Amino acid sequence: MTVDPITLEVIGEGLIAIVREMRATVIRASYSPVIWDMDDFSCALFDPAGQMIAQSDDHPGHVLPMPWSVRCAMEDFQDDLRPGDVILLNDSYRGGTHLNDVTMLYPLFDGEELIVFPAVRAHWSDVGGGAPGSYSGLNTNIYQEGVRIPPIKIVEGGRLNRAAMALLLNNMRLPEDRQGDFNASLGACKVAEGRIRRLLAKYGRKTVLDAIALNLDRAERRLRAKIAALPDGEYVYEDYLEYFEDGALDPVLMRLTLTIRGDEIVADFAGSSPQVPGVVNSTLATTGAGVVVAVKAVLDPDGPINHGTFRPITLQAPEASIVDVKLDAPAGAHGEVRKRAVSVMLGALAQVVPDLVCGDLCGTSFPNAIGGRDARRRRDYVYYEAPSGGNGAWRGGDGPSAWGNIDFGNVRTIQSAEALESGMPLLVEESALRVDSGGEGTMRGGLGFRRAIRLLEGEARYSVLSDRAVLPPFGVGGAGPAAPVKVSVVHDGAERDFATPGKVTGHAIAADDVVVLESAGGGGYGDPLARDPARVRDDVVAGLVSRARAREGYGVVFTATGEVDAAETARRRATLAASRRTFPIAADEREAYEGRRGRHRVIRLAPSVASAVGAKTGDVVEMLGRHPAPLRAWVRVETDAVADRIALDALARRILGVAAGDHVRVTKLR
Amino acid sequence: MQWVGVDVGGTFTDVVVYDEAGGTLDVGKSPTSPADPTVGLLNALTKLKVDLAGTGRVVHGTTIGTNAVLERTGAPVWLLTTRGFRDTLEIGRTNRTILYDMRAQKPAPLVPRTRVVEIDERVTFDGTVLRPLREDDVRAALARVRESANGARAALVVSFLHSYAWPAHEDTAARIAAEMLPGWFISTSADVLPELREYERCSTAALNAYIGPKVGGYLTALTRALADRDYRGKVFITTSSGGIVPAEVAARYPVHTVLSGPAGGVAAAVNLGRLTGQRNLITYDMGGTSTDVCLIEDLEPALTTEQHIAGLPNRTPQIEINSIGAGGGSVAWLDAGGALRVGPRSAGADPGPACYGRGGVEATITDANVVLGRAGTDVPLAGEIELDAERARQALARLGAGLPEVGDVAALADGVVRLAVARMVSAIKEISIARGHDPRDFALVAYGGAGPMHAALLADELDMTRVIVPPAPGNFSAFGSLISDLRRDYVRTRLLRTRGGGDAAVERLYAGLEREARADLGAEGVAPSAITLVRMLGMRYVGQSWELLVRWPDEMSDGTLAALEAAFHRAHEQRYGHATAREAEVVSLRLTAVGAVAKPTPPRWTVTGTPAQAERVRREVSFDRERQRVAVYRRERLPGGTPLSGPAIIEEMGATTVIPPGWSATVGPWGELVLTRQSP
Repeated sequence: MTVDPITLEVIGEGLIAIVREMRATVIRASYSPVIWDMDDFSCALFDPAGQMIAQSDDHPGHVLPMPWSVRCAMEDFQDDLRPGDVILLNDSYRGGTHLNDVTMLYPLFDGEELIVFPAVRAHWSDVGGGAPGSYSGLNTNIYQEGVRIPPIKIVEGGRLNRAAMALLLNNMRLPEDRQGDFNASLGACKVAEGRIRRLLAKYGRKTVLDAIALNLDRAERRLRAKIAALPDGEYVYEDYLEYFEDGALDPVLMRLTLTIRGDEIVADFAGSSPQVPGVVNSTLATTGAGVVVAVKAVLDPDGPINHGTFRPITLQAPEASIVDVKLDAPAGAHGEVRKRAVSVMLGALAQVVPDLVCGDLCGTSFPNAIGGRDARRRRDYVYYEAPSGGNGAWRGGDGPSAWGNIDFGNVRTIQSAEALESGMPLLVEESALRVDSGGEGTMRGGLGFRRAIRLLEGEARYSVLSDRAVLPPFGVGGAGPAAPVKVSVVHDGAERDFATPGKVTGHAIAADDVVVLESAGGGGYGDPLARDPARVRDDVVAGLVSRARAREGYGVVFTATGEVDAAETARRRATLAASRRTFPIAADEREAYEGRRGRHRVIRLAPSVASAVGAKTGDVVEMLGRHPAPLRAWVRVETDAVADRIALDALARRILGVAAGDHVRVTKLR
Repeated sequence: MQWVGVDVGGTFTDVVVYDEAGGTLDVGKSPTSPADPTVGLLNALTKLKVDLAGTGRVVHGTTIGTNAVLERTGAPVWLLTTRGFRDTLEIGRTNRTILYDMRAQKPAPLVPRTRVVEIDERVTFDGTVLRPLREDDVRAALARVRESANGARAALVVSFLHSYAWPAHEDTAARIAAEMLPGWFISTSADVLPELREYERCSTAALNAYIGPKVGGYLTALTRALADRDYRGKVFITTSSGGIVPAEVAARYPVHTVLSGPAGGVAAAVNLGRLTGQRNLITYDMGGTSTDVCLIEDLEPALTTEQHIAGLPNRTPQIEINSIGAGGGSVAWLDAGGALRVGPRSAGADPGPACYGRGGVEATITDANVVLGRAGTDVPLAGEIELDAERARQALARLGAGLPEVGDVAALADGVVRLAVARMVSAIKEISIARGHDPRDFALVAYGGAGPMHAALLADELDMTRVIVPPAPGNFSAFGSLISDLRRDYVRTRLLRTRGGGDAAVERLYAGLEREARADLGAEGVAPSAITLVRMLGMRYVGQSWELLVRWPDEMSDGTLAALEAAFHRAHEQRYGHATAREAEVVSLRLTAVGAVAKPTPPRWTVTGTPAQAERVRREVSFDRERQRVAVYRRERLPGGTPLSGPAIIEEMGATTVIPPGWSATVGPWGELVLTRQSP
């Protein structure tokens, strides 16, 4: 199998160029603002075995799970695909992500042989279900999330299945727009077909297929070399998603055991919570996307992405768990599960390559929807935005503010206020960075974003499906956490929060109400008391950090003219450092988790220890040991708990990298 | 009457003089004087003994604005914006252009957060004033701006929400600013780009303001200097869309000059393609500091309004050019890991490459070519710079001290050139292969001072078999500015449904635009008969956001929105393979006004004889690490039509063409050198 280097490159890049052209087609021809204005869609090419052979600037959360979609479709239609067939699917349990992502697969034949699948996965603004936008934080089963489409032939032998199409559109809001979204995907696939046929005619089938295979092998070799350079070992980390049981927080656990062996990585999610009747579950394909994103981001951000990239990585997970959802649990939180997979990967990789990781990302895709009837334009509307938050800081710099996270592709997560207002009865009153929301560290985490939107007329329903609205993104290397997501509605001048933060379904809003969205910041990197005071001053002058937090978080004090007061700063920093609480550890192998449906880690503190860290039962503390990423636990104050020590089970000691005789720092989460 | 074309590059200032009566072209160049580019320009004119009193047109391409953005050396800019939108530039659209890399940084906005002042005013999308602007608020805000500028003359952008629909608030604020901040460069967003989408409009206006003082100051100085030398005509500037505008227009809208220099070369390449019948071209313009490449399909360079410069949106119409920091003066260096790198930093014109002997000590691509013997040292560059091969060798030897494994200086020089070629090859792949074009279907047009020296090497890597080196390649962009027409682009944003009965509005708006266009071009001395007006519409289906550019239908039989809708359906079908019967809407009305100018007629090549008669000398030149004695020819003495086999070197004023082994060169009827690869 040889292809000369120029032809290899022409074909490899040519396939990527086809994907770019598909992308341009989808953007320009879609009706969902989510697609045309925000780029919340992806295109890619697959081979019949489900191997991803080309993608471009596509959304990792879309394309990385897509091989699974192709495999599901092939299971159903293996010997029954003909030229002119087109497959549609969105079933979260059968190749989909969340139901809004509707996927089209377009089997392309060269003569009799199935060669390649152009594929489009696009976020349709609405796919039915209980709330406008099909987004809802309080769903308890998948039926509330919208129409579930198993892999079906929506076009068969070139003929549209009108019955199926009518059935689908009849169950979605703004059916005309959905028809447009469908046409856009179909148009993109047709563009790809024309281009691929030209490629085949010019170079011949064998050369094209050989070039594809060589490209995949090349990507695989490159990533394997990067993994091989890491020390072998097993690294554990755990984090949570926010599930509410009967209106009370009942966090679910995501646990990762990361094994690095030679040039392979195994990501095992054993120990993660069983699935729950809430929107914190997703598919293994989505979980795996988070793993691949983190591996790429930390080890080889510049390398190509195709199926060769996936080969060195193996995924394992318990069935019917939050990371591998089965019928009939909701699956709407795919962005959240994917991002939490990135979080636990960062926590584990921080133990391997502390210099290469960053603080936690904002940790949620924060999708918000407002739906109602626009009397003036005589049409229904669905507003949708998923405002980016902050990014984690890393050794060499602060985290970027209000910028797409590494798992989010090139998505424009907010709309142009002008474009928004020209299409819906909404008025954007504020669109700004969120002061003090970045995790405090030697390098500061990025700031979140704040947008206030006024409903101008009529009534509407507001829904949000977010995470990190209670537990904030974590910092690494002694840095602080970022501000969590916050959502409120201002009605008659009074601001109201929600009882289940981040999880709201169809909340009625009236004309003149203002919905205020605040995305989370990113985690910091390194001790905030070691941050260059001049950088803190710059942040204060720019209004990114308040004077109060400069003093309390960074220990930086200013003179009357706004310059850094070096002497006072040194004193303040010494005081803050002295106020930190560290304790020697003790072994305690009793059950460390509790929860109703979920599971969260509990730490038993003696009253003296609890009072030293200012925590009471139910508070969350962060513990920091020798490893860069912190461990979180819920405090239970017990009079008979071991005094002056922190009792940890073996797993906690592993996560923290501590052994008998070591100390851990304990901080109550603000 | 003479016409003068000038291109001020990062390293050299190139001049072309066309004598209308004699039909002759004269070319010259002089080192660019970065501190005051007019000096280099006047030097170049003096060298050619240009009679400015007898000159009818001076056309000028400048990279001053571009460089100010790339090097971040523009003016301090303050921004007045609608309350609540202070962070529009900082936030952008939140999209990450660098995927997967968590260490990547968002590009810093041109206006830092500390220089943004919010004003309490609000207009809605249809131009309704929700909260009127209070002049006192503006005065108070501007007083704060003045105070924080601390006496400096800087730049101000006024960008309010929905100003494309209701520019009055911006205009009022700008008027007050003109009173309170005398000498400041002031731009309003709706004046620079009256289009929907606040971030993109504000960014384009901020770019305009950021480079405004530099570009404006330069153009004023230039106009004065030319007038001092008895030039009585107008000074024109080439724009990013491949046209020319008077200097005073460029001074007000400098953001339109961001691709001023490269656009001239592309216009000249299209002209060359038309003359030679070569309709598919990739242009390769390598100067002293940068390389620009552009793909021309069927004589049409791609136009776009969606370009970014240094990561910042610039929504003005422009030719799609890919630019990288690799030129003859690009410095070769070792990175932290000890790996050899080339560029993007350039030694520029001053001190220039080490071989210039002007104090430069770092090895550049030019130094590498001197060491390889490809660039000769026996004839002064541009007639005034003596090249010193020993200094080039020393500079490379110093660099080589950190790279013992590379071997001798010649091997290192070879490596430097290869690395530079690889970077330029990538730039061409991005505009060809990455867009679905096979470079093998195109000819490479090589120009700029350093283009012809590397063109065949690039072509080898890309498997291209044909390279065209135009006459006077070092002055090709300057020549391009002489064949460019006056061009102005206009746009109005107005939402008009195709079934909403707004027929009269379309004609009324276009009538207004056309009046404005005719008046503008008339003021520039264009006769009405020389004006061509082209209408384009931005249209979409109701419910879509992105508009498709639709040509005004030729036969507007019933002259109505219905006809426009039909044209849109056709365009949609053609572009995306489907169309529906749904209602469409007009979003923007665009008008391009072209004022034809008289153009030079390129002279035919009349030299006869044999190539041997053109041979000047033989020298040692390295190819593939082997030194061989190679004939060096004077281009101006090469006869037409006789092939010349490589290896060979062809020299002329301002450029050297390298014919590697395996290539041959023939002079075509218009004096163009056609390089073809003999063996695969």
